[in-house]
Amino acid sequence: MKHKWAMAIDLDRCTGCGACVAACVAENNIPTVGEAEAGMGRLMQWIRVARYWDEEHAGANAVYLPVLCMQCERAPCETVCPVYATYHNDDGLNAMAYNRCVGTRYCANNCPYSVRVFNWRDHVWEKPLDEQLSPDLSVRSRGVMEKCTFCIQRIRRAKEAAAAEKRPIRDGEVAPACVQTCPPGALLFGDIEDPDSEISRKLSDPRRFRLMEHLGTEPRVWYLKRRKGAGL
Amino acid sequence: MLDRRQFLKLGGAAAFATLFGGCEKTRKQIIPFVLPPENQVLGEALWYASACGQCPAGCGVVVRVSEGRAKKIEGNPLHPVNRGRLCARGQAALQALYHQERLSGPMKASGPRGSGNWQPVSWEEALSLLMTRLKNVRAEAPASLLMLTEPMRGHEGLVAGRFMKAFGSPHRVAWDPFGRDALLAACEAVHGVRDLPEYDIANARYLLSFSGDFLETWVSPVHYAEAYGRMRGSRETVRGKFLHFGPRLSMTAASADRYLQIAPGTEGVVALGISHVAIRDGLTPPAAAAGNLMAAGLSAYSPEAVEKRTGVRASDLARAAKEFFGNQPGLAIGGTACGSGAAGVFNHAAVELLNALSGSAGLPGGVSFPDRSRAYARYGAERSLLAPPPESGYAAVRDAAGKMRKGTFRMAILAGSSNPAFTLPPAMKFAEALSNVPFAVAFASFLDETSSLADLVLPVPTPMETWGDDIAPVGHGGAVTLRQPVVEPFRDARSMADVLLAAAAELGGESARALPWKSMRDCIEKNYDGPGERLEKALRDGGVFPSDAAPLRAMRKGAVLPPKAPREAAGAVDPGKYPLALHLYPSTALYDGRGANLPWLQELPDPLTTAMWRNWVELNPKTAERMGLADGDGVTIASPHGKITAHVAFNPGLAPDVAAMPTGQGHSRYGRAAVGRGENPFSLLPEAPEGGASGLALQAGRVALEKTALPTRLVRFAHPEGQWKLSNLM
Ligand code: SF4
Ligand code: SF4
Repeated sequence: MKHKWAMAIDLDRCTGCGACVAACVAENNIPTVGEAEAGMGRLMQWIRVARYWDEEHAGANAVYLPVLCMQCERAPCETVCPVYATYHNDDGLNAMAYNRCVGTRYCANNCPYSVRVFNWRDHVWEKPLDEQLSPDLSVRSRGVMEKCTFCIQRIRRAKEAAAAEKRPIRDGEVAPACVQTCPPGALLFGDIEDPDSEISRKLSDPRRFRLMEHLGTEPRVWYLKRRKGAGL
Repeated sequence: MLDRRQFLKLGGAAAFATLFGGCEKTRKQIIPFVLPPENQVLGEALWYASACGQCPAGCGVVVRVSEGRAKKIEGNPLHPVNRGRLCARGQAALQALYHQERLSGPMKASGPRGSGNWQPVSWEEALSLLMTRLKNVRAEAPASLLMLTEPMRGHEGLVAGRFMKAFGSPHRVAWDPFGRDALLAACEAVHGVRDLPEYDIANARYLLSFSGDFLETWVSPVHYAEAYGRMRGSRETVRGKFLHFGPRLSMTAASADRYLQIAPGTEGVVALGISHVAIRDGLTPPAAAAGNLMAAGLSAYSPEAVEKRTGVRASDLARAAKEFFGNQPGLAIGGTACGSGAAGVFNHAAVELLNALSGSAGLPGGVSFPDRSRAYARYGAERSLLAPPPESGYAAVRDAAGKMRKGTFRMAILAGSSNPAFTLPPAMKFAEALSNVPFAVAFASFLDETSSLADLVLPVPTPMETWGDDIAPVGHGGAVTLRQPVVEPFRDARSMADVLLAAAAELGGESARALPWKSMRDCIEKNYDGPGERLEKALRDGGVFPSDAAPLRAMRKGAVLPPKAPREAAGAVDPGKYPLALHLYPSTALYDGRGANLPWLQELPDPLTTAMWRNWVELNPKTAERMGLADGDGVTIASPHGKITAHVAFNPGLAPDVAAMPTGQGHSRYGRAAVGRGENPFSLLPEAPEGGASGLALQAGRVALEKTALPTRLVRFAHPEGQWKLSNLM
């Protein structure tokens, strides 16, 4: 069964709360780097909530844009990896085989969305903080590139559950950690191969757009513009 | 290590199977690093339901447990408060559970109290020390026992309350720096109900927020954010509209369709201005129209007069009134800043007046008061021990501090996350007052500013390791949340309730009669077990969720009067000497400071400033420029009550002449992640609440800023994609 996983981010619902960031950190064994490294721009978080100042409209305001790996169908990061560490899998996801990565960082250079993060050092989980680490995925070591996987381990969990019950995966059964937790429900995940899935229906909204569409990367992450009401 | 099945037997925990069934059928363990992700086989895991304890909102959680260890916390999809969602703070509870600095056994102060020198002792020794003291105090002067905690709910609160009563001491004090005193008083005055209102945001068509912070912290951020998402996008034809008035562009304000800046502390004036227009132009539904409102003082709030005092254009006020009353059901919500300072009750009452006039109170999309106490009706008058009103307890703490100084107390029991030594204004001199109490015992998971001051520290389990029950302040729908240990206790810890129950049994007499349970587990089992598998189902689901909605408490009908403006406090601070208004707000990540020891929360970029790991003071760039300050500069912030330093962070949506700071940083104790991250903004606050409100005056003080060289730097989250045009996103 082929899947085409995609995410829709409704900017009309996102409040910028950062729950998605925390969920991702917890799910994916993402280290904290501390103040000094953070100051060098070496945060390891796979999803960021970018804050824009809106000065184009009357008065100042902040606008939030959650940015994660766009899982491009035509991924510019893949073509430059000399060792095929970052590759396309059967579901059309842009995946990483960490053990193949040799740390050239070409992929990060070639990613127009700046979503790849590099392990500049071996991160330590002081005991017993390491008890929290998920056994479903590895802790990446120094010199390895990493990024959002659409929580591939959660997709696998759903596939295994479905296979055990000899049924297809149900719409809404798979959700990456960020989507699962997003309090206002700004994030939606699903299979766009299925025309009846909630995400397929959501993406018929004319508010949809993709980041840097003109580059032809064909992201699997779609955004829905903020709406403006009438009146004041 | 126990395996899950053994753990189930020993702990009596019940797995949350409803939505996560099938996990057990997956294959066994793996070594994932050598394989690409598709070929990895996943470990076994089970989900257990419990309750979040990171803030007073009371969300329901499910915890993924693998090999006896908690791996991930998610919202409980069955729980009416958060419907499967969770905030960043709730998720970070895992780091508290496995924190390297978590106390692993009882400790006795060695050397002078508060010196930071400790000697580990066995539980046996610790408990005998505690019992000797308790017995002496009870024999000689039972009323000299003080219990100072954060507000406790459910049977834990009942145990604490009954323990103190049976012991013979009236001195049970609960402290919450963000208590909702002003809102409670306003609801009593306007709606005739002294309780937290439930705002039905999901079904509202129009939202007026007055310094509202309901999407970020406040009473129940996940509950309201979830409802907000539905208000915006879950109805076929209606997208609820949202207008925000306030002095600060906050995370909540940023979500509004329009953010209208006002002068700090004038939330109530704006609200009355809107009511004025509504009455003047006959916009209110006739049933709610109260003809004598104008005569009773509303006439003074013409849009023009309000514009002068608040800075909101008269035409905007008129539009807001027209839109709000023309798009019912609608809600008016006041937030933390709205309810602080001398004008707190006035502000909230003015806002609630809009809800009363809207005609939607008690209806879907309006404000209502679902009865919380039904769940505990069997306790009669003791109900308030299980579902106390969310007050700050400020007056009681101040009274207790005074009594400490006078030597009234011979023993103090300290517990909870509200950390009075950190969150109380410095003028109260809490630490010094406590030093007059001959013996203090603290129940704590970490050494914070308060537990460090004790003679004896007893480690408690984290919420994920305890038995208990709870009813949430809002969004509960009549449901009781159950808390069960989802992992075997990771440290040799005992909950305060368990220790009190054991102590009561040993004290005998009235104490033993009042507290007939062996442990909290016993208490929960006796209270929730019934015929069949009632308890097991409740533990599996994470609570008892009734199918019928909680009955609504009757609200006042008929005429409401506009609130009276507070009189200017005598001896107001000189604005010449202190030119900026101070605006403290609860940090989105650290709340009142309880999250500051968790690296996940320290490294969560702030939604407005994107700052991490350190505190800051927000200034409007124009104000800063006038003062010769640049973004990132170090400054000294001085109020009449204290002086701290911080880095400047620009907030272009902050009202001019306001200095805004998040609370939460500035710890001197509380572990490596928390210490040395700037100074504590609570220390700028005055002791006496200025005027009538009884909570902290978070938005009422004044400060002066002075440029100061600091050895540190404020780290911001880099903005690698800065070139994208905003117009492409909106
Ligand atoms: S959790 Fe949802 S609302 Fe919060 S920042 Fe992420 S996408 Fe936005
Ligand atoms: S809002 Fe409070 S109770 Fe709910 S998840 Fe966040 S910290 Fe926990």
